[in-house]
Amino acid sequence: MTYYLVDGSEDCFYTAVFDAYKNSDCIITSERDVQLGLGFEVIDVVTDRNKADRVKAKINALDRGAAEDISLVLKSNSALKESTAFGYIKLIIQNGGAVRSMLANPTVIEMTEIRTRVFGESHRLKGLLRFMENRDGIMYAPYSPDNDVTEILALHFASRFDGRPFVIHDIKRKIAAMYDGNEIVMTYAGDAEIYLSEYENYFQNLWKQYYNSVNIESRPHPKQMRGSMPVRYWKFLPEKK
Amino acid sequence: MLDAERLAILTESAKYDVSCSSSGSKRTNVKGGLGNASVGGICHSFTPDGRCISLLKMLMSNACLYDCEYCPNRQSANVRRTSVTPDEICELTINFYRRNYIEGLFLSSAVFDTPNRTMELLCETVIKLRKVYGFNGYIHLKGIPHADDALIMRAAKFVDRMSFNVELPSEKSLKLLAPQKTKDSLLLPMKKLNNAILYDKENKVRTGNRVIPAGQTTQMIIGASPESDGQILRLTESLYRKMGLKRVYYSSYVPVVQSPKLPASGAGLLREHRLYQADWLIRFYGFDVAEICEEGENLSVEFDPKCHWALKNMHLFPVEINTAPLEMLLRVPGIGARGAYRITNARKYGKLDFDNLAKMRIILKRAKHFITCKGKFYGSESGNAVKAALLLDGIKESREQLSIFSDASVALSALSGEI
Repeated sequence: MTYYLVDGSEDCFYTAVFDAYKNSDCIITSERDVQLGLGFEVIDVVTDRNKADRVKAKINALDRGAAEDISLVLKSNSALKESTAFGYIKLIIQNGGAVRSMLANPTVIEMTEIRTRVFGESHRLKGLLRFMENRDGIMYAPYSPDNDVTEILALHFASRFDGRPFVIHDIKRKIAAMYDGNEIVMTYAGDAEIYLSEYENYFQNLWKQYYNSVNIESRPHPKQMRGSMPVRYWKFLPEKK
Repeated sequence: MLDAERLAILTESAKYDVSCSSSGSKRTNVKGGLGNASVGGICHSFTPDGRCISLLKMLMSNACLYDCEYCPNRQSANVRRTSVTPDEICELTINFYRRNYIEGLFLSSAVFDTPNRTMELLCETVIKLRKVYGFNGYIHLKGIPHADDALIMRAAKFVDRMSFNVELPSEKSLKLLAPQKTKDSLLLPMKKLNNAILYDKENKVRTGNRVIPAGQTTQMIIGASPESDGQILRLTESLYRKMGLKRVYYSSYVPVVQSPKLPASGAGLLREHRLYQADWLIRFYGFDVAEICEEGENLSVEFDPKCHWALKNMHLFPVEINTAPLEMLLRVPGIGARGAYRITNARKYGKLDFDNLAKMRIILKRAKHFITCKGKFYGSESGNAVKAALLLDGIKESREQLSIFSDASVALSALSGEI
């Protein structure tokens, strides 16, 4: 059994796919704490753009949408994301074309489920992310998502807030997307010290007032609320703090 | 600037408008502008009543000259009155939007002056929001009955969605409970707007220049007047098919106002729930209203409308999953639109059995009584056994539903079958 250890980037994953494709007894993973037994070989994959591009070209030739699906799946927090995506690529090549409608195939089911979880969380957070304004008028949004969706969110908000700088900060992964009004830069970000603008509290209070007023008390349904807005997201929501 | 107290009054007056969807519009941002619309809609928060907050929902004023019986803001009611200026609304919208609290604005108003003057001010507000504040997010604007067509059409150019509430399911009830609103004052502007939408489509007007790209919706109160579900659904169907509406919302009557013309108790959430289920069958599952409910009848309390239909038509079942046409799969209780789509896709690559369906996350609890897989059947044999099995599931479901009734007495009456 061979372990191909990748660094979490897409190109590194595709390089590993290139190297591992002919090896029938192998696993691609970015998990660092794998349990190794006798007879296990570990290969630390070094990104090779050339190999990665060849794999991507092959996939694109067979199924235009697959690269995007794989890109989403690789952002997942699932330990199986690389091996599922690898299986999916093998299936596409075997089949000589798109496989996404083979909805009873276990690899496709697994792929669809991971993809749905990542896409679902990114969609949910497009609504639940909360910005606050700092003294320089820059909007700052700290959060802690299950999957690595910061880049997806940054693209979404850059087209909304065109020309208005913001920072989206994933506290758990210690990364941030910084938008200066022009382009997005992904960067490492530990703790952040934020000085709020003088209006920030005023608007947060108005928002809390709005949240309380718009509720219809005679129709309580807290289970529905928690189902749609899981409690783990609440600590970043002013209306739920 | 707007204070919390006025916001509270104007929001509490607007909250009974059910619509909060922000879907259906593909409005794009312009260089340096603020916001765009997401075609699938985005929910930004959820309140303890289980509803989502997508839009900033408020009235421009709650000082109404009309005297609709059921309305907490009717002229004769003794409530605090207040209003906001167009600039105050714009500033609040922009600041909420920049913090990602909301997807846009849902603006409505009491008729505080003549209908034209009211509509004019609403119109002025949305135009200001678009032109002066550069806002390109979602706007849902409520139409004021009896306002001039020119004003309504002007507003329609700037907003994503408009709605005139039909309020009550029949002209007779409207006359009794909302005497200042007439059927024509609600339906004619809907028709005009629909014609404008059709005109844009036929003449291939560029997407960005179309009037109300997210279409029209409406809302009616259920249980304040004596109409049956059958009548309500017939009205609904004609609104969808003749007026091209995107959504009809039902709002279960809550007695916020005491009046001899109104029932003393609410209609219950189960009735509202059943109406929505039937509404979905009409829009997405290819059902005609005549199949779901007779004109003078109400929907079944024990079974959802699809189950009810299937039980009456047991001779059509079971259907074979691997060969049944899509239209028939959609009619199997327990299989939804998404499930039917998955099945028709997956079966191209090989025959499906029950195990496959379970792995594809098709819920078989109800469906198993109505389908066969590769000829095998796992449901209950006789029609009565199926009924009993489904009824048992239904009881479990309604027990969960009970938690949505506020006080114990309502819950008890639900158990004893009074609602």
